[in-house]
Amino acid sequence: MTNPAISICRVLLPALLLSACGANSVVISGSFPTPNIGKLPIDLAVVYDDNLLDFMYTEYSETGQEEYYIQSGQSHIQLFNAVLPAMFDNVTFVDNLEAAADSGADAIFVPNIEEFQLALPAKTRLDVYEVWIKYNMRLLTAEGAYLADWELTSYGKTPTETFLTTESAINDAAVVALRDLASTFALSFARVPEISDWLANR
Amino acid sequence: MKLFDGVAGKLIPLVLMLCAGCTSTTVDEFRQGETGIASHETVVILGRRQVSSYETSADFVECVGDRLAQGANGLSVVPEQEFLDAMFPWFEPRTAPLRTQDLERLMAEEQVALTMRGFGVRYIVWLDGFTETIDRSGSISCTVAPGGAGCFGFGSWEDDASFSARIWDVDNFNAVGTISTDANGQSYVPAIVIPIPLIARVEANACQRLGDQLKNFVIGS
Repeated sequence: MTNPAISICRVLLPALLLSACGANSVVISGSFPTPNIGKLPIDLAVVYDDNLLDFMYTEYSETGQEEYYIQSGQSHIQLFNAVLPAMFDNVTFVDNLEAAADSGADAIFVPNIEEFQLALPAKTRLDVYEVWIKYNMRLLTAEGAYLADWELTSYGKTPTETFLTTESAINDAAVVALRDLASTFALSFARVPEISDWLANR
Repeated sequence: MKLFDGVAGKLIPLVLMLCAGCTSTTVDEFRQGETGIASHETVVILGRRQVSSYETSADFVECVGDRLAQGANGLSVVPEQEFLDAMFPWFEPRTAPLRTQDLERLMAEEQVALTMRGFGVRYIVWLDGFTETIDRSGSISCTVAPGGAGCFGFGSWEDDASFSARIWDVDNFNAVGTISTDANGQSYVPAIVIPIPLIARVEANACQRLGDQLKNFVIGS
């Protein structure tokens, strides 16, 4: 009969040692304001792709070890949920393109993240944490045909501070980048040439 | 240890403490137009954050705002984050107006003008600058042993805070002036068993002097 305390130690000790060596996880969270702009007369259906919903970026250390897991999918959903209803007359969130086609919307919007980059002060020797995100935005007709396909980039940074943890600083820089995305998207949407032409011909 | 006995032992800490207060601050004012503010009007102080190498600290912006709001003739100051959220996306780092002509164009947007009027903003103050440590020297080593712990050594550094405040008149869409402040001071940490930080309050002094000057500038005195 093994001592229960020894059994617990056998399980807990390796787990503790592993967790000490493992990568840190950062779930991006923040609050996003609604844009203070005029609404476009569009009935929009929005489809969040699984790549966006479950988006996670892995930052590797200089020795190739996994250092940080950055989960920003849900924060992007939260951002689009705040921004889109303030930009368009009517917004419907649906699960897939078929449901979007059935919704009777004027257009279908499918946002996606193409690239995520992180710059840490320990690597750049600068006193700021920086986040770059590159997006692919697609606008389709109600039937799923191409309307517009464009790229957006966003950037956020936060300075190093004495009592700021790396996880908090990454979160702060990512939230600034998300605000940057929202502001650029809100102000440039109607200026995308294909969208501008489509709006003019409606 | 004999060095710190007697008069020398009492004088050295005293000199160091006095030097810790030695922060020199210079304030320059450049006025381009008349100013004045009514009791129902407000001021908003915003940090410039479009440069990639540094950004104006939100704490410094808040400190200057608090200074403006203090005292018998305190001004009504709109908190920066509240203003940025209400004006979103027009005052973000990439979209904020850089010149008064940009502000005039921005105010042509109905929502922007309405929100600005709702806050009663008469002056926008753009703060731009940062504090940097320019000279660091010395070293302190600490030891922990079964019989006790202690530190020995001496460290010092110099901080330099440089900020400018550009004041825009929202009613007339023009720049009415610029106030610049530059503060520097030396901090010391002597350690004889216990480290004693003697910190020069460089940024706090810059905030205090800039805030006071800014308040008088806006009031028009």
